[in-house]
Amino acid sequence: MDFVSFVTFCPTELNLFSPRAFHWMKMPAVAESEQLPVQQAREGKPEAWDALFRRYQLPLYVYVFELVHNEQTSLDIVQEVFIAAARHISGLRDDAKFGSWLFGIAHQKVIQHWRKRTEVLLEEIPESPDEFEDGPDDLLIRREQEAEFMNLLNQLPPPQRAVLLLHFVEDFSLEEIARITETHLGTVKSRIHYAKKSLRTLLEEKK
Amino acid sequence: MRTPREILLERHRATTPKLDAIRREVVWEGRRAAVPKFRVADTATLPMLIWRELFWPCRRIWAGLAATWILIFVFNFSQRDPAELLARKSPPPSPEMILTFRQQERLLAELIGPNESQAIAPSKPFLPQPRSEGRFEILTT
Repeated sequence: MDFVSFVTFCPTELNLFSPRAFHWMKMPAVAESEQLPVQQAREGKPEAWDALFRRYQLPLYVYVFELVHNEQTSLDIVQEVFIAAARHISGLRDDAKFGSWLFGIAHQKVIQHWRKRTEVLLEEIPESPDEFEDGPDDLLIRREQEAEFMNLLNQLPPPQRAVLLLHFVEDFSLEEIARITETHLGTVKSRIHYAKKSLRTLLEEKK
Repeated sequence: MRTPREILLERHRATTPKLDAIRREVVWEGRRAAVPKFRVADTATLPMLIWRELFWPCRRIWAGLAATWILIFVFNFSQRDPAELLARKSPPPSPEMILTFRQQERLLAELIGPNESQAIAPSKPFLPQPRSEGRFEILTT
């Protein structure tokens, strides 16, 4: 049995490389306890804005690109998000929620883009499973499967992809994702649940 | 083994220079467009404020209005009386012409002059005087 097979099939309790074990060892989640200079940004300090945008530019771009699939459009949307954030910072009530607020703007911009292209994206999943305990890193992907993972991610319907990206990229809480996507908590739960299930199934099939 | 986050970020890391450029443009170079909103109240002068609040939001309308006025002016100039323009452009009259004109003027003045002077000269208003005063005048003369 080679190392990869061992890692994949070893029982979770024994396997230090299993998703559960990795979850214990993982670095602090991205969105947790970060000291962001939001107050300085409110005061109009460009250095603060620079720091904030630097922190979020790549995750934002990833989120937008994976929904839009066009580099130039994604860059345009990111720029629009930055401008909108700078203009409407007074609308942010809680400084700690700057990240989710920024992603909320990005989400709205993506929806506007979709509307312009008249794509149908409203797809609701009626069921909403109650259990949701997995972290974003519970899904570990082997190097050989990374391309497959991206393909599979792109096969998901846009609403599921959106919540899954928010979950993966910034580890937003369910409430934050619900706020960003302007959907019900139950809907977010079900979307993540089914998206992860689909991904797992697809990855299993591809093994 | 990598997490989805790592895969996703790694996949798009090549775009970072472009994102840096956008960030710089929004925060530092294009501050008039984006970030400045908060400093406006401190530094904005009245003309800037008028420009930004009155003109810039409806710049297309203002541009259309300006274009209309320009068209009106152009049309107005093109429709001017050509005789007037010709008269303006014609050379000054020759000395002979001026001499002839002055002779004509003098002749006209001679013809109508006396009658006009009579007509124009103010007549002495008749003021009734007492007879005694009239006699005094005769004596003094």
